[in-house]
Amino acid sequence: MKWFYRIISILAAFFFVAPIVWMLVVSIKEEGMKIITLVDWFTPPYSFAVYHQILMGTKLTNWIGNSFLVAICVTLLTVTFAAMAGFALSKIPFRYRALMFFVVLAGLLIPGEAIIIPLYQVAKDQSLLNSYQGLIIPVLASPVAVIVLKSFFDGVPNDLIESVQIDGGGTWRIFMNIMLPLTRPALASMAILTFIGSWNNFLWPFLSVTDDNLFTLPMGIPTLMSSYSEDYVKPMVVNTISSLPIILLFLIFERQIVKGVSLSGIKG
Amino acid sequence: MRMNKLRADVQALLFLLPFLVIYGLYTIWPMIKGVEMTFYKWTLIRKMKYIGWDNYTKMFHDQEVWAAIWHSTIFVLITTPTMIVLAIVLALIANRKSRLQKFYRSVFFLPSVLSVAVASYLGLFIFQPYMGFVNSLLHLIGLLPSGTELFWLTELNLSWVALSVITLWWTVGFNFILYLSAMQDIPDEIYEAARLDGASDRHVFWKITLPYLNPITKTITMLQIIASFKVFLQIYIITGGGPLDKTRPIIQLIYTTGFRKNDLGYAATMSYVVFVILLVLSAIQYWMNNRKGAQA
Repeated sequence: MKWFYRIISILAAFFFVAPIVWMLVVSIKEEGMKIITLVDWFTPPYSFAVYHQILMGTKLTNWIGNSFLVAICVTLLTVTFAAMAGFALSKIPFRYRALMFFVVLAGLLIPGEAIIIPLYQVAKDQSLLNSYQGLIIPVLASPVAVIVLKSFFDGVPNDLIESVQIDGGGTWRIFMNIMLPLTRPALASMAILTFIGSWNNFLWPFLSVTDDNLFTLPMGIPTLMSSYSEDYVKPMVVNTISSLPIILLFLIFERQIVKGVSLSGIKG
Repeated sequence: MRMNKLRADVQALLFLLPFLVIYGLYTIWPMIKGVEMTFYKWTLIRKMKYIGWDNYTKMFHDQEVWAAIWHSTIFVLITTPTMIVLAIVLALIANRKSRLQKFYRSVFFLPSVLSVAVASYLGLFIFQPYMGFVNSLLHLIGLLPSGTELFWLTELNLSWVALSVITLWWTVGFNFILYLSAMQDIPDEIYEAARLDGASDRHVFWKITLPYLNPITKTITMLQIIASFKVFLQIYIITGGGPLDKTRPIIQLIYTTGFRKNDLGYAATMSYVVFVILLVLSAIQYWMNNRKGAQA
Protein backbone atom coordinates (compact mmCIF):
# COMPACT_ATOMS: atom_id res chain seq x y z
CA MET A 1 0.00 0.00 0.00
CA LYS A 2 2.82 2.33 0.89
CA TRP A 3 4.38 1.71 -2.51
CA PHE A 4 1.11 2.46 -4.21
CA TYR A 5 1.00 5.88 -2.52
CA ARG A 6 4.60 6.55 -3.44
CA ILE A 7 4.08 5.72 -7.10
CA ILE A 8 0.97 7.89 -7.33
CA SER A 9 2.84 10.75 -5.65
CA ILE A 10 5.83 10.51 -7.95
CA LEU A 11 3.57 10.29 -11.01
CA ALA A 12 1.66 13.38 -9.91
CA ALA A 13 4.91 15.28 -9.40
CA PHE A 14 6.05 14.12 -12.83
CA PHE A 15 2.96 15.53 -14.52
CA PHE A 16 3.45 18.87 -12.80
CA VAL A 17 7.11 19.31 -13.72
CA ALA A 18 7.13 17.54 -17.10
CA PRO A 19 5.78 20.45 -19.17
CA ILE A 20 8.30 22.82 -17.61
CA VAL A 21 11.20 20.42 -18.15
CA TRP A 22 10.02 19.86 -21.72
CA MET A 23 9.94 23.63 -22.25
CA LEU A 24 13.52 23.98 -20.95
CA VAL A 25 14.85 21.09 -23.02
CA VAL A 26 13.19 22.17 -26.25
CA SER A 27 14.41 25.73 -25.71
CA ILE A 28 18.05 24.60 -25.91
CA LYS A 29 17.64 22.48 -29.06
CA GLU A 30 19.06 23.68 -32.35
CA GLU A 31 16.56 25.43 -34.52
CA GLY A 32 15.08 23.85 -37.64
CA MET A 33 16.13 20.27 -36.87
CA LYS A 34 13.84 17.36 -37.60
CA ILE A 35 12.51 16.70 -34.15
CA ILE A 36 9.55 14.39 -33.96
CA THR A 37 9.56 11.81 -31.21
CA LEU A 38 10.04 12.45 -27.54
CA VAL A 39 13.44 10.78 -27.71
CA ASP A 40 14.63 13.38 -30.24
CA TRP A 41 13.83 16.16 -27.80
CA PHE A 42 15.94 14.67 -25.04
CA THR A 43 19.07 13.84 -27.01
CA PRO A 44 21.82 16.27 -28.13
CA PRO A 45 22.88 18.42 -29.93
CA TYR A 46 21.93 21.42 -27.82
CA SER A 47 22.64 25.09 -28.36
CA PHE A 48 21.93 28.45 -26.75
CA ALA A 49 21.95 30.31 -30.07
CA VAL A 50 18.23 31.02 -30.07
CA TYR A 51 18.43 32.58 -26.59
CA HIS A 52 20.88 35.10 -27.97
CA GLN A 53 18.61 35.82 -30.94
CA ILE A 54 15.51 36.34 -28.80
CA LEU A 55 17.24 38.43 -26.14
CA MET A 56 18.90 40.71 -28.71
CA GLY A 57 16.36 40.71 -31.54
CA THR A 58 13.06 41.21 -29.72
CA LYS A 59 11.53 43.44 -27.07
CA LEU A 60 11.05 40.54 -24.65
CA THR A 61 13.43 41.91 -22.01
CA ASN A 62 11.68 45.28 -22.31
CA TRP A 63 8.36 43.63 -21.59
CA ILE A 64 9.75 41.72 -18.61
CA GLY A 65 10.97 45.10 -17.32
CA ASN A 66 7.52 46.63 -17.89
CA SER A 67 5.85 43.74 -16.10
CA PHE A 68 8.15 44.20 -13.10
CA LEU A 69 7.74 47.98 -13.07
CA VAL A 70 3.96 47.79 -13.25
CA ALA A 71 3.72 44.94 -10.74
CA ILE A 72 5.97 46.74 -8.22
CA CYS A 73 4.08 50.05 -8.49
CA VAL A 74 0.70 48.31 -8.34
CA THR A 75 1.76 46.25 -5.32
CA LEU A 76 3.18 49.17 -3.32
CA LEU A 77 0.26 51.49 -3.99
CA THR A 78 -2.49 48.88 -3.64
CA VAL A 79 -1.21 47.69 -0.28
CA THR A 80 -0.63 51.26 0.96
CA PHE A 81 -4.10 52.44 -0.02
CA ALA A 82 -5.74 49.28 1.30
CA ALA A 83 -3.86 49.52 4.62
CA MET A 84 -4.91 53.16 5.07
CA ALA A 85 -8.53 52.41 4.25
CA GLY A 86 -8.56 49.25 6.37
CA PHE A 87 -7.09 51.19 9.31
CA ALA A 88 -9.78 53.89 9.10
CA LEU A 89 -12.51 51.25 8.95
CA SER A 90 -11.00 49.31 11.83
CA LYS A 91 -9.76 51.87 14.34
CA ILE A 92 -11.19 55.36 13.68
CA PRO A 93 -14.69 55.79 15.17
CA PHE A 94 -16.16 58.08 12.52
CA ARG A 95 -19.76 58.61 11.50
CA TYR A 96 -20.97 56.50 8.53
CA ARG A 97 -18.36 53.83 9.31
CA ALA A 98 -20.91 51.06 8.77
CA LEU A 99 -22.05 52.63 5.52
CA MET A 100 -18.48 52.97 4.29
CA PHE A 101 -17.73 49.36 5.16
CA PHE A 102 -20.77 48.32 3.17
CA VAL A 103 -19.59 50.37 0.17
CA VAL A 104 -16.24 48.54 0.22
CA LEU A 105 -17.92 45.15 0.67
CA ALA A 106 -20.14 45.84 -2.32
CA GLY A 107 -16.95 46.18 -4.36
CA LEU A 108 -16.26 42.48 -3.78
CA LEU A 109 -19.32 41.73 -5.85
CA ILE A 110 -18.28 43.80 -8.86
CA PRO A 111 -16.32 41.65 -11.31
CA GLY A 112 -13.60 43.53 -13.18
CA GLU A 113 -14.43 41.71 -16.41
CA ALA A 114 -17.98 43.06 -16.42
CA ILE A 115 -16.96 46.72 -16.32
CA ILE A 116 -14.01 46.43 -18.68
CA ILE A 117 -15.79 48.00 -21.69
CA PRO A 118 -16.91 51.20 -19.90
CA LEU A 119 -13.57 51.30 -18.05
CA TYR A 120 -11.89 51.42 -21.45
CA GLN A 121 -14.06 54.41 -22.39
CA VAL A 122 -13.37 56.16 -19.07
CA ALA A 123 -9.61 55.64 -19.41
CA LYS A 124 -9.78 56.89 -22.97
CA ASP A 125 -11.64 60.04 -21.94
CA GLN A 126 -8.93 60.69 -19.35
CA SER A 127 -6.14 60.02 -21.91
CA LEU A 128 -4.85 57.10 -19.84
CA LEU A 129 -4.62 54.65 -22.74
CA ASN A 130 -1.11 53.72 -23.88
CA SER A 131 0.67 54.92 -20.75
CA TYR A 132 2.24 53.46 -17.64
CA GLN A 133 -0.24 55.47 -15.56
CA GLY A 134 -3.04 53.78 -17.45
CA LEU A 135 -1.62 50.33 -16.70
CA ILE A 136 -1.23 51.14 -13.01
CA ILE A 137 -3.85 53.59 -11.71
CA PRO A 138 -7.15 51.92 -12.68
CA VAL A 139 -6.27 48.66 -10.90
CA LEU A 140 -5.21 50.14 -7.56
CA ALA A 141 -8.47 49.90 -5.60
CA SER A 142 -8.71 46.39 -4.15
CA PRO A 143 -11.71 45.85 -1.86
CA VAL A 144 -10.40 42.36 -1.01
CA ALA A 145 -7.15 43.80 0.33
CA VAL A 146 -9.02 46.42 2.37
CA ILE A 147 -11.23 43.82 3.98
CA VAL A 148 -8.45 41.32 4.71
CA LEU A 149 -6.23 44.03 6.21
CA LYS A 150 -9.11 45.52 8.20
CA SER A 151 -9.71 42.14 9.81
CA PHE A 152 -6.03 41.98 10.78
CA PHE A 153 -6.11 45.52 12.20
CA ASP A 154 -9.17 44.50 14.24
CA GLY A 155 -6.89 42.07 16.02
CA VAL A 156 -4.51 44.79 17.28
CA PRO A 157 -5.44 45.55 20.93
CA ASN A 158 -6.82 49.03 21.60
CA ASP A 159 -4.69 49.40 24.77
CA LEU A 160 -1.60 49.72 22.59
CA ILE A 161 -3.23 52.54 20.64
CA GLU A 162 -4.31 54.37 23.78
CA SER A 163 -0.78 54.24 25.16
CA VAL A 164 0.44 56.10 22.08
CA GLN A 165 -2.37 58.62 22.45
CA ILE A 166 -1.41 59.25 26.08
CA ASP A 167 2.09 60.01 24.84
CA GLY A 168 0.50 62.59 22.57
CA GLY A 169 0.88 60.62 19.35
CA GLY A 170 -1.55 61.33 16.53
CA THR A 171 -3.45 58.99 14.26
CA TRP A 172 -0.68 58.97 11.68
CA ARG A 173 1.85 57.82 14.28
CA ILE A 174 -0.48 55.10 15.48
CA PHE A 175 -0.80 53.90 11.91
CA MET A 176 2.91 54.01 11.11
CA ASN A 177 4.41 52.91 14.46
CA ILE A 178 1.83 50.44 15.74
CA MET A 179 -0.47 49.10 13.08
CA LEU A 180 1.94 48.58 10.19
CA PRO A 181 4.75 46.88 12.15
CA LEU A 182 2.33 44.63 14.05
CA THR A 183 0.60 43.37 10.93
CA ARG A 184 3.69 43.01 8.76
CA PRO A 185 3.10 39.32 7.89
CA ALA A 186 -0.40 40.12 6.62
CA LEU A 187 0.91 43.08 4.64
CA ALA A 188 3.66 40.94 3.10
CA SER A 189 1.21 38.22 2.13
CA MET A 190 -1.15 40.75 0.59
CA ALA A 191 1.77 42.29 -1.29
CA ILE A 192 2.88 38.95 -2.73
CA LEU A 193 -0.62 38.03 -3.87
CA THR A 194 -1.07 41.47 -5.45
CA PHE A 195 2.27 41.07 -7.21
CA ILE A 196 1.37 37.68 -8.70
CA GLY A 197 -2.04 39.04 -9.68
CA SER A 198 -0.51 42.00 -11.47
CA TRP A 199 2.15 39.84 -13.12
CA ASN A 200 -0.61 37.66 -14.57
CA ASN A 201 -3.06 40.44 -15.36
CA PHE A 202 -3.93 40.18 -19.01
CA LEU A 203 -7.27 41.67 -19.97
CA TRP A 204 -6.72 45.29 -18.91
CA PRO A 205 -3.20 45.70 -20.40
CA PHE A 206 -4.41 43.90 -23.52
CA LEU A 207 -7.19 46.46 -24.05
CA SER A 208 -5.55 49.63 -22.80
CA VAL A 209 -2.14 49.43 -24.50
CA THR A 210 -1.40 49.19 -28.21
CA ASP A 211 2.15 50.61 -28.24
CA ASP A 212 4.48 47.60 -28.09
CA ASN A 213 7.04 49.53 -26.04
CA LEU A 214 4.54 49.53 -23.18
CA PHE A 215 3.50 45.88 -23.42
CA THR A 216 3.66 43.73 -20.33
CA LEU A 217 4.70 40.10 -20.68
CA PRO A 218 1.29 38.44 -21.05
CA MET A 219 0.48 40.64 -24.05
CA GLY A 220 3.93 40.65 -25.56
CA ILE A 221 4.21 36.88 -25.70
CA PRO A 222 1.26 36.35 -28.11
CA THR A 223 2.55 38.97 -30.56
CA LEU A 224 5.92 37.21 -30.70
CA MET A 225 4.44 33.73 -30.94
CA SER A 226 2.21 34.51 -33.89
CA SER A 227 5.29 35.02 -36.07
CA TYR A 228 6.88 31.66 -35.19
CA SER A 229 5.19 28.76 -36.84
CA GLU A 230 7.81 26.36 -38.19
CA ASP A 231 9.25 24.78 -35.08
CA TYR A 232 9.04 24.84 -31.31
CA VAL A 233 12.46 26.11 -30.32
CA LYS A 234 11.79 29.85 -30.51
CA PRO A 235 8.42 29.66 -28.75
CA MET A 236 9.94 27.65 -25.91
CA VAL A 237 12.83 30.08 -25.60
CA VAL A 238 10.31 32.91 -25.27
CA ASN A 239 8.40 30.92 -22.64
CA THR A 240 11.57 30.08 -20.73
CA ILE A 241 12.95 33.62 -20.67
CA SER A 242 9.53 34.90 -19.58
CA SER A 243 9.23 32.38 -16.78
CA LEU A 244 12.71 32.35 -15.26
CA PRO A 245 12.39 35.62 -13.27
CA ILE A 246 9.09 34.64 -11.66
CA ILE A 247 10.24 31.06 -11.01
CA LEU A 248 13.34 32.41 -9.25
CA LEU A 249 11.18 34.77 -7.18
CA PHE A 250 8.97 31.83 -6.30
CA LEU A 251 11.91 29.74 -5.11
CA ILE A 252 13.17 32.62 -2.96
CA PHE A 253 9.82 33.65 -1.45
CA GLU A 254 8.12 30.27 -1.42
CA ARG A 255 7.29 30.29 2.28
CA GLN A 256 5.70 33.74 2.21
CA ILE A 257 3.75 32.91 -0.94
CA VAL A 258 2.33 29.75 0.55
CA LYS A 259 1.45 31.62 3.74
CA GLY A 260 -0.18 34.40 1.74
CA VAL A 261 -2.33 31.99 -0.19
CA SER A 262 -3.53 30.19 2.92
CA LEU A 263 -4.31 33.50 4.66
CA SER A 264 -6.34 34.73 1.73
CA GLY A 265 -8.30 31.50 1.71
CA ILE A 266 -9.15 31.67 5.38
CA LYS A 267 -10.33 35.24 5.00
CA GLY A 268 -11.95 34.77 1.62
CA MET B 1 -9.71 55.32 19.93
CA ARG B 2 -11.03 58.41 21.74
CA MET B 3 -11.25 61.68 19.83
CA ASN B 4 -13.93 64.21 19.08
CA LYS B 5 -16.44 63.42 16.37
CA LEU B 6 -15.50 65.99 13.76
CA ARG B 7 -11.80 65.22 14.02
CA ALA B 8 -12.50 61.51 13.66
CA ASP B 9 -14.59 62.15 10.56
CA VAL B 10 -11.90 64.26 8.93
CA GLN B 11 -9.12 61.81 9.74
CA ALA B 12 -11.06 58.79 8.56
CA LEU B 13 -11.82 60.59 5.32
CA LEU B 14 -8.13 61.38 4.80
CA PHE B 15 -7.17 57.74 5.33
CA LEU B 16 -9.93 56.49 3.05
CA LEU B 17 -9.40 59.12 0.37
CA PRO B 18 -6.80 57.44 -1.92
CA PHE B 19 -8.77 54.21 -2.00
CA LEU B 20 -12.11 55.93 -2.48
CA VAL B 21 -10.90 58.17 -5.30
CA ILE B 22 -9.54 55.24 -7.34
CA TYR B 23 -12.50 53.04 -6.44
CA GLY B 24 -14.96 55.73 -7.45
CA LEU B 25 -13.21 56.69 -10.67
CA TYR B 26 -12.40 53.21 -11.99
CA THR B 27 -15.05 50.94 -10.50
CA ILE B 28 -18.20 52.88 -9.60
CA TRP B 29 -18.08 55.43 -12.40
CA PRO B 30 -17.52 52.85 -15.19
CA MET B 31 -20.44 50.87 -13.77
CA ILE B 32 -22.72 53.87 -14.18
CA LYS B 33 -21.17 54.86 -17.49
CA GLY B 34 -21.70 51.31 -18.77
CA VAL B 35 -25.44 51.57 -18.26
CA GLU B 36 -25.48 54.70 -20.42
CA MET B 37 -23.44 52.93 -23.13
CA THR B 38 -25.96 50.11 -23.44
CA PHE B 39 -28.51 52.56 -24.84
CA TYR B 40 -26.25 53.72 -27.67
CA LYS B 41 -24.70 52.48 -30.83
CA TRP B 42 -21.29 53.42 -29.41
CA THR B 43 -18.07 52.92 -31.40
CA LEU B 44 -14.38 52.99 -30.47
CA ILE B 45 -13.98 56.54 -31.76
CA ARG B 46 -17.04 57.47 -29.72
CA LYS B 47 -19.50 58.01 -32.50
CA MET B 48 -22.72 57.67 -30.53
CA LYS B 49 -26.25 57.19 -31.67
CA TYR B 50 -29.12 56.76 -29.21
CA ILE B 51 -30.99 53.55 -29.93
CA GLY B 52 -33.01 52.96 -26.75
CA TRP B 53 -33.50 49.32 -25.78
CA ASP B 54 -32.30 47.96 -29.15
CA ASN B 55 -29.08 46.45 -27.75
CA TYR B 56 -31.10 44.55 -25.16
CA THR B 57 -33.72 43.18 -27.54
CA LYS B 58 -30.98 42.24 -30.03
CA MET B 59 -29.07 40.43 -27.31
CA PHE B 60 -32.02 38.33 -26.17
CA HIS B 61 -32.42 37.02 -29.70
CA ASP B 62 -28.71 36.65 -30.40
CA GLN B 63 -27.83 32.94 -30.57
CA GLU B 64 -24.09 33.76 -30.40
CA VAL B 65 -24.51 35.34 -26.97
CA TRP B 66 -26.39 32.40 -25.49
CA ALA B 67 -23.97 29.93 -27.09
CA ALA B 68 -21.00 31.79 -25.60
CA ILE B 69 -22.62 31.86 -22.15
CA TRP B 70 -23.23 28.13 -22.51
CA HIS B 71 -19.56 27.54 -23.45
CA SER B 72 -18.41 29.38 -20.33
CA THR B 73 -20.87 27.29 -18.34
CA ILE B 74 -19.53 24.04 -19.85
CA PHE B 75 -16.07 25.12 -18.80
CA VAL B 76 -17.34 25.75 -15.25
CA LEU B 77 -19.08 22.36 -15.16
CA ILE B 78 -15.95 20.50 -16.29
CA THR B 79 -13.30 22.33 -14.29
CA THR B 80 -14.98 22.88 -10.91
CA PRO B 81 -15.44 19.25 -9.78
CA THR B 82 -12.14 18.08 -11.29
CA MET B 83 -10.35 21.00 -9.64
CA ILE B 84 -11.73 20.06 -6.20
CA VAL B 85 -10.85 16.37 -6.52
CA LEU B 86 -7.38 17.08 -7.88
CA ALA B 87 -6.65 19.69 -5.20
CA ILE B 88 -7.66 17.27 -2.42
CA VAL B 89 -5.58 14.43 -3.88
CA LEU B 90 -2.52 16.66 -4.21
CA ALA B 91 -3.00 17.98 -0.68
CA LEU B 92 -3.21 14.41 0.64
CA ILE B 93 0.06 13.61 -1.13
CA ALA B 94 1.86 16.63 0.28
CA ASN B 95 0.37 16.13 3.72
CA ARG B 96 1.80 12.61 4.15
CA LYS B 97 5.00 12.60 6.13
CA SER B 98 7.86 11.84 3.76
CA ARG B 99 11.24 13.19 2.77
CA LEU B 100 9.73 14.59 -0.40
CA GLN B 101 7.02 16.62 1.38
CA LYS B 102 8.62 19.99 0.65
CA PHE B 103 9.39 18.97 -2.91
CA TYR B 104 5.76 18.06 -3.58
CA ARG B 105 4.55 21.34 -2.16
CA SER B 106 6.85 23.36 -4.45
CA VAL B 107 6.15 21.26 -7.51
CA PHE B 108 2.36 21.36 -7.29
CA PHE B 109 2.33 25.12 -6.79
CA LEU B 110 5.05 26.00 -9.31
CA PRO B 111 2.84 26.25 -12.45
CA SER B 112 0.59 28.77 -10.66
CA VAL B 113 3.25 31.47 -10.76
CA LEU B 114 3.67 31.21 -14.54
CA SER B 115 2.10 33.95 -16.59
CA VAL B 116 -1.22 32.92 -18.12
CA ALA B 117 0.28 33.52 -21.57
CA VAL B 118 3.19 31.17 -20.88
CA ALA B 119 0.89 28.49 -19.50
CA SER B 120 -1.38 28.81 -22.52
CA TYR B 121 1.40 28.63 -25.11
CA LEU B 122 3.00 25.74 -23.29
CA GLY B 123 -0.36 24.00 -23.48
CA LEU B 124 -0.79 24.88 -27.13
CA PHE B 125 2.51 23.26 -28.09
CA ILE B 126 2.20 20.32 -25.72
CA PHE B 127 -1.12 19.24 -27.22
CA GLN B 128 -0.04 19.76 -30.84
CA PRO B 129 -0.35 16.65 -33.07
CA TYR B 130 2.81 15.09 -34.62
CA MET B 131 5.34 17.02 -32.55
CA GLY B 132 3.57 17.72 -29.27
CA PHE B 133 4.62 16.31 -25.92
CA VAL B 134 1.36 14.54 -25.10
CA ASN B 135 1.02 12.58 -28.31
CA SER B 136 4.72 11.71 -28.25
CA LEU B 137 4.36 10.43 -24.70
CA LEU B 138 1.30 8.39 -25.63
CA HIS B 139 3.23 6.88 -28.56
CA LEU B 140 6.19 6.13 -26.32
CA ILE B 141 4.22 4.20 -23.71
CA GLY B 142 2.14 2.52 -26.41
CA LEU B 143 -1.26 3.97 -25.52
CA LEU B 144 -1.55 5.53 -28.95
CA PRO B 145 -0.66 3.30 -31.96
CA SER B 146 2.18 4.81 -33.99
CA GLY B 147 0.99 6.49 -37.15
CA THR B 148 -2.19 7.76 -35.48
CA GLU B 149 -2.53 11.18 -33.94
CA LEU B 150 -5.01 12.73 -31.54
CA PHE B 151 -6.14 16.18 -32.70
CA TRP B 152 -6.53 17.76 -29.27
CA LEU B 153 -7.05 21.29 -30.49
CA THR B 154 -9.39 20.86 -33.43
CA GLU B 155 -11.74 18.09 -32.29
CA LEU B 156 -14.45 19.56 -30.05
CA ASN B 157 -14.52 17.05 -27.18
CA LEU B 158 -10.75 16.70 -27.10
CA SER B 159 -10.28 20.47 -27.09
CA TRP B 160 -12.42 20.76 -23.94
CA VAL B 161 -10.17 18.11 -22.39
CA ALA B 162 -7.01 19.95 -23.43
CA LEU B 163 -8.31 23.34 -22.21
CA SER B 164 -9.34 21.85 -18.87
CA VAL B 165 -6.11 19.94 -18.34
CA ILE B 166 -4.03 23.06 -18.97
CA THR B 167 -6.21 25.16 -16.69
CA LEU B 168 -6.07 22.56 -13.93
CA TRP B 169 -2.31 22.25 -14.24
CA TRP B 170 -1.86 25.99 -14.17
CA THR B 171 -4.29 26.97 -11.36
CA VAL B 172 -4.73 23.99 -9.06
CA GLY B 173 -1.79 25.18 -6.92
CA PHE B 174 -3.83 27.85 -5.13
CA ASN B 175 -6.61 25.44 -4.18
CA PHE B 176 -4.05 22.80 -3.26
CA ILE B 177 -2.44 25.20 -0.76
CA LEU B 178 -5.83 26.07 0.73
CA TYR B 179 -6.60 22.38 1.26
CA LEU B 180 -3.14 21.64 2.59
CA SER B 181 -3.34 24.35 5.23
CA ALA B 182 -6.86 23.23 6.15
CA MET B 183 -5.60 19.64 6.54
CA GLN B 184 -2.76 20.79 8.75
CA ASP B 185 -5.30 22.51 11.01
CA ILE B 186 -7.01 19.20 11.80
CA PRO B 187 -5.90 18.28 15.34
CA ASP B 188 -3.64 15.21 15.53
CA GLU B 189 -5.58 13.83 18.53
CA ILE B 190 -8.58 13.12 16.34
CA TYR B 191 -6.46 10.97 14.03
CA GLU B 192 -4.81 9.22 16.95
CA ALA B 193 -8.16 8.42 18.50
CA ALA B 194 -9.39 7.00 15.19
CA ARG B 195 -6.25 4.85 14.89
CA LEU B 196 -6.75 3.50 18.40
CA ASP B 197 -10.25 2.46 17.36
CA GLY B 198 -8.66 0.60 14.46
CA ALA B 199 -10.01 2.79 11.66
CA SER B 200 -8.58 2.17 8.20
CA ASP B 201 -6.95 4.87 6.05
CA ARG B 202 -9.99 5.02 3.86
CA HIS B 203 -12.30 5.30 6.83
CA VAL B 204 -10.23 8.12 8.33
CA PHE B 205 -10.36 10.01 5.03
CA TRP B 206 -14.12 9.73 4.51
CA LYS B 207 -15.18 10.13 8.15
CA ILE B 208 -12.66 12.67 9.46
CA THR B 209 -10.60 14.47 6.84
CA LEU B 210 -13.31 15.15 4.27
CA PRO B 211 -16.00 16.38 6.71
CA TYR B 212 -13.37 18.60 8.33
CA LEU B 213 -12.59 20.15 4.94
CA ASN B 214 -16.23 20.90 4.24
CA PRO B 215 -16.14 24.68 4.88
CA ILE B 216 -13.05 25.25 2.72
CA THR B 217 -14.56 23.03 0.01
CA LYS B 218 -17.61 25.29 -0.12
CA THR B 219 -15.42 28.39 -0.39
CA ILE B 220 -13.21 26.88 -3.08
CA THR B 221 -16.21 25.66 -5.07
CA MET B 222 -17.74 29.12 -5.28
CA LEU B 223 -14.42 30.86 -6.02
CA GLN B 224 -13.71 28.29 -8.72
CA ILE B 225 -17.12 28.68 -10.35
CA ILE B 226 -16.61 32.45 -10.50
CA ALA B 227 -13.04 32.16 -11.80
CA SER B 228 -13.92 29.56 -14.43
CA PHE B 229 -16.84 31.59 -15.70
CA LYS B 230 -14.44 34.45 -16.42
CA VAL B 231 -12.16 32.26 -18.57
CA PHE B 232 -10.70 34.02 -21.59
CA LEU B 233 -7.04 33.91 -22.47
CA GLN B 234 -6.35 30.16 -22.33
CA ILE B 235 -9.16 29.52 -24.77
CA TYR B 236 -8.30 32.54 -26.93
CA ILE B 237 -4.72 31.30 -27.37
CA ILE B 238 -5.19 27.55 -27.43
CA THR B 239 -8.26 27.03 -29.63
CA GLY B 240 -9.10 30.62 -30.58
CA GLY B 241 -12.64 29.74 -29.53
CA GLY B 242 -12.81 27.05 -32.20
CA PRO B 243 -13.59 24.64 -33.70
CA LEU B 244 -16.34 26.75 -35.33
CA ASP B 245 -16.65 29.01 -32.27
CA LYS B 246 -17.81 26.01 -30.25
CA THR B 247 -15.47 26.76 -27.34
CA ARG B 248 -15.70 30.57 -27.48
CA PRO B 249 -16.49 31.86 -23.97
CA ILE B 250 -18.60 34.94 -23.25
CA ILE B 251 -15.65 37.19 -22.30
CA GLN B 252 -14.10 36.51 -25.70
CA LEU B 253 -17.38 37.37 -27.43
CA ILE B 254 -17.53 40.65 -25.48
CA TYR B 255 -13.97 41.45 -26.52
CA THR B 256 -14.61 40.59 -30.18
CA THR B 257 -17.85 42.56 -30.30
CA GLY B 258 -16.36 45.65 -28.70
CA PHE B 259 -12.91 45.80 -30.20
CA ARG B 260 -13.06 43.82 -33.45
CA LYS B 261 -16.60 44.62 -34.54
CA ASN B 262 -16.32 48.13 -33.13
CA ASP B 263 -19.56 47.98 -31.16
CA LEU B 264 -18.79 49.02 -27.58
CA GLY B 265 -22.44 49.67 -26.76
CA TYR B 266 -23.48 46.13 -27.58
CA ALA B 267 -20.41 44.70 -25.84
CA ALA B 268 -21.29 46.70 -22.71
CA THR B 269 -24.83 45.30 -22.85
CA MET B 270 -23.45 41.74 -22.94
CA SER B 271 -21.12 42.44 -20.06
CA TYR B 272 -24.10 43.30 -17.87
CA VAL B 273 -25.35 39.75 -18.37
CA VAL B 274 -21.98 38.53 -17.10
CA PHE B 275 -22.30 41.05 -14.32
CA VAL B 276 -25.67 39.73 -13.19
CA ILE B 277 -24.52 36.09 -13.34
CA LEU B 278 -21.35 36.81 -11.36
CA LEU B 279 -23.25 39.03 -8.93
CA VAL B 280 -25.61 36.18 -8.09
CA LEU B 281 -22.67 33.76 -7.67
CA SER B 282 -20.73 36.21 -5.48
CA ALA B 283 -23.82 36.91 -3.40
CA ILE B 284 -24.22 33.17 -2.76
CA GLN B 285 -20.54 32.96 -1.85
CA TYR B 286 -20.79 35.95 0.50
CA TRP B 287 -23.94 34.61 2.10
CA MET B 288 -22.31 31.21 2.67
CA ASN B 289 -19.23 32.80 4.18
CA ASN B 290 -21.28 34.89 6.54
CA ARG B 291 -23.31 31.94 7.66
CA LYS B 292 -20.08 30.10 8.30
CA GLY B 293 -18.81 33.09 10.30
CA ALA B 294 -22.05 33.26 12.31
CA GLN B 295 -21.67 29.64 13.37
CA ALA B 296 -18.04 29.96 14.42
